[in-house]
Formats: sequence, structure tokens, C-alpha cells
Amino acid sequence: MNNLWGNIFKRQKREGVQDILKKIPVFEGLSNNDISHIERILHYREYKPEEIIFSQGTPGFGMYIIEDGSVSIVSEPSMEIIAELQSGDFFGELALLDDSPRSATAVAKTSCRMLCFFQSDLLDLIRRKPQIGVKILLCLARTIGERLKRANEEIHALNKRSETPV
Amino acid sequence: MESPEENKGTRWFRVIVLLILLAAVASLLSFISDLVKILIISALLAFVLDPIALLLESRGISRTLAAVILFCTIISAGVIAALFLVPLFFGDIDAIQLNMDSAHTTALISKIEHLIENDLAFLGIKDIHLMEKAQKAIGSMGGWVVNHLLDLASLMLNLFLIPFITFFLLKDGRNFKKAFVSMVPNKYFEFTLRLISNLDTQVSNFLRGQFVDAMIVGVLSTIALWILGVKYFLFIGVFAGLANFIPYFGPIVGAALAVLISLLNNGSFETVFYVLIAFAAVKLIDDVAVQPYVVGKSVHMHPMIVLLVIIVGGKFFGILGMFLSVPAAGFIKVVLRESIVNLRKYKAI
Repeated sequence: MNNLWGNIFKRQKREGVQDILKKIPVFEGLSNNDISHIERILHYREYKPEEIIFSQGTPGFGMYIIEDGSVSIVSEPSMEIIAELQSGDFFGELALLDDSPRSATAVAKTSCRMLCFFQSDLLDLIRRKPQIGVKILLCLARTIGERLKRANEEIHALNKRSETPV
Repeated sequence: MESPEENKGTRWFRVIVLLILLAAVASLLSFISDLVKILIISALLAFVLDPIALLLESRGISRTLAAVILFCTIISAGVIAALFLVPLFFGDIDAIQLNMDSAHTTALISKIEHLIENDLAFLGIKDIHLMEKAQKAIGSMGGWVVNHLLDLASLMLNLFLIPFITFFLLKDGRNFKKAFVSMVPNKYFEFTLRLISNLDTQVSNFLRGQFVDAMIVGVLSTIALWILGVKYFLFIGVFAGLANFIPYFGPIVGAALAVLISLLNNGSFETVFYVLIAFAAVKLIDDVAVQPYVVGKSVHMHPMIVLLVIIVGGKFFGILGMFLSVPAAGFIKVVLRESIVNLRKYKAI
């Protein structure tokens, strides 16, 4: 109930959130004022150890930033751990642009505090504050472009390796 | 393990509990019908005004200031309507009633009575006393109008509540949503957020579409009637616009009122013919050029459902309920459909 009143009547401000957001590539280059706008629209969630944050195959809807704790990204059904993420890391940013199903499951490894930024909030921000929205979209495009470049390099390296006679 | 009989018994018990709950909700809603009406009108206004608030925000105005500007605009529009349109409206209604007693109308009704008694004698129709019945009907129509305007008057007492609630829905709507989502368990968090977002888009589009469509039809009808020189064109035009909220039946009721009034006014079948042509043209423009662009096809309702919804709306919330029932039913339909679609996507059902 406190959460409800907190959301309606108080402007939520959490220590250190701005510092975390400034380090996220998606929010790179945003001014302090812009970051304050983002901070206001974030959702704050807490997860217990072993709690599922999202499941593989369900539609993606937004990105998560780890404020505190660690998260495992697991591939189903093998349950192979693809990545382990720590405080300040982020995941699921592709879902800001695309509704396609999540490619892996995210599970809280320890007790986690998460900052969640969703597609609907981004679209709303683009309509309300287009100048901030455009900056975020640019950063997102840059992040995805870099990932694509890295993936291409890896494919290239793999191809080279497979062509090399043993 | 439960036997099939026990299973059947449990299912029936659930159905009965659900019916009792529905009856309780319906009676509670009718008990607080005034408050429900005010809340529905405020929510409709907030949905319709939200894009303007967004536009103001995108120009660098804060959400609170945008809500204040819109609040002042609603108050001003209300005052202007009360000062200029309401007397015009009342004037039109009074004039329609007075017109009923004119020699011209009496002659017209006698003519129709004569025609029916002579030409339809083979059906056993005689001594129909049409004039007496018409006067009685108009008398009761006057009563009906007064009753519902009194209903509106009682609503006007609470009218300051509508801009007030609309203001807070506009200003804090986003926080209300966020507050609601914060209470949802982690398991259903993304699902709820997506559901609310989809509902917001669909319901906003539907309501805005209906509102814009009703306004365009109202303005076109008023202009057409004014060009044709039909008296009380403002009253009929506004009524036709409002009636357009009700699919299928609304346009017919609007046209019928225009025909009736123009028939009683000058009794010329030529004018009636032009009025019918005008309404058909407005309906055609609406169907071809307005509805496809402003009203989404996503909230299509079967005519029978529309009729049932209007009856239920009228039963519980009076004349205003009849107008509000269709948008409310559209809202419920979107909620149910989106819930099912999302539950399937999240493999919850």
C-alpha cells in the first residue's frame, strides 16, 4: 500500500539511480535533466533469489537494469547459463523496439533490485519529449549496430576457422 | 479425486456465485449511478483530451500546466454552452411544443387521421383519435424532455466534479497506472504492463474516433438542416451527433426526429424528402470518408449486442446511460479481448 501512495503522491527518487543510468549505453549523452525524466518513468521491482524475471518464448516488452544483485541468463530447455550479469548491467534492450519472443530466460541469482524501462514508456516519452526520445533511439541504434558488427566479426572468424584445414 | 457429479456441482456453485456477484455489482452500480456516470464522463473526457495534453507537453509545457490549461478550457466551454447554447436549445424545445398546437399541425394530423380511417378501413381501423393521442404523446414527450433535462440539471449540480476528476485523470493518470502496476506480483508484471498499454491504445483510439465522428456528423447535419431551412436545426443537429454514438440505431433515430419535426413544422413532404436526402448524404459521407479514418474497426459490435447494451444502459442509468452504454461496452469488449490475447501470449491459458 505504501508503494501505491508513494507512486501517486511522491516523486520516487532513489540514491544512485542517476549514476547507474548515466553508465547505460542506451542513455549515453543525455543531460542530467533528461536522466531525471527517465528516472521518473522507470518501474522499480524487487526479485527474490531464483525468481524468474522473464521466460524464454514470452513476448519481450522492455529492458531491465540491475540496480543491485546478480542475474543469470539461461537458455531453455538445456538450462545452460549464457551470461551472468551484475549490478549496473542491463539486458532485454532489444524488446524496446521489437515484440518478438524473449530468446532466453532471466533468473535472479541473488536478491535483486531492478530498474525496468518499457516499450510503452519509450513510445510515450517520444510523444511527450521528442528530443529525449530521439537521443535514446539513436543510442539504441548505435548499441544494436555495435552488437551486429561484433556478431559479424564472430561469424567471419568462425567461417575462417572452419575453412582452415586441420 | 472429485467425481463427475461433484465436479458438476462445483461448477454450478461457481456459476451461481458469479451470478450473485454480477447482480450485486449491477445493483451497486445503479445505486451509485450518478457517481458512475460522472466517472465515465470524466474518463471519456480524459481519453479524448489526452492527445492535446501530449501535444502541449511536446511543446515544453509541464503535464500539470497542460492539465490546468485543459481544465480551464472545459470550464470555459461549459460556461459558454450554459450561456449561449442551452437557452437556444430550450428555446427550440419550447418552440417545438408550441408548434404542436398550431392550426397547421392540427390540420396535418386530421389529414393523416382521415387518410388512415378511409384507406385502411378494411383493416378495421376506425376512430383512432390521432390528434388526441398525438397531443398526449407530445405532452408526455415534453414531460420526458423536462425529466431528462432535470436529470441533466441534477447532473449540473455535480458538474464541477467532472472537470475536477478529468483534471486529476489527465495530470496523474500516468502515476495511477504506475501505482497499479507496482502492486502486481512480479510474475504478472510484464503481462499487466503490456495489457494496460494495449488497452490504452485501443480504448483511446475507439473513444476519440467515436467522439470525432459524432462531432463531424453533428456539424454536417446542422449545416445540412440550416441550408434546407429546417427550423430548430441546432437542436436536431446536436441530437443527430449525440445519437451517432449509438451504432446502427443512432442515425435512424436522428433522421426520424428531423423528419418528424419538419413534418410537424410545415407539413411539406418535399422538405421531408430533402431532409431524408440530407441525412442519407451525411450517413454516406460518414461511412465513406469519416468512419474509415477516425473510427477503428477493432470494436465492431453486432446490432443485437448494441440493442441489448442500450436497453441495459437505459434501465440502469437512464437516457445518459443509453448514450454512454455503447462506448462503455466497447471498452469492456477491448478489455476482455486483450486480456485473452495476452494471457495466451504469456501462456497463462
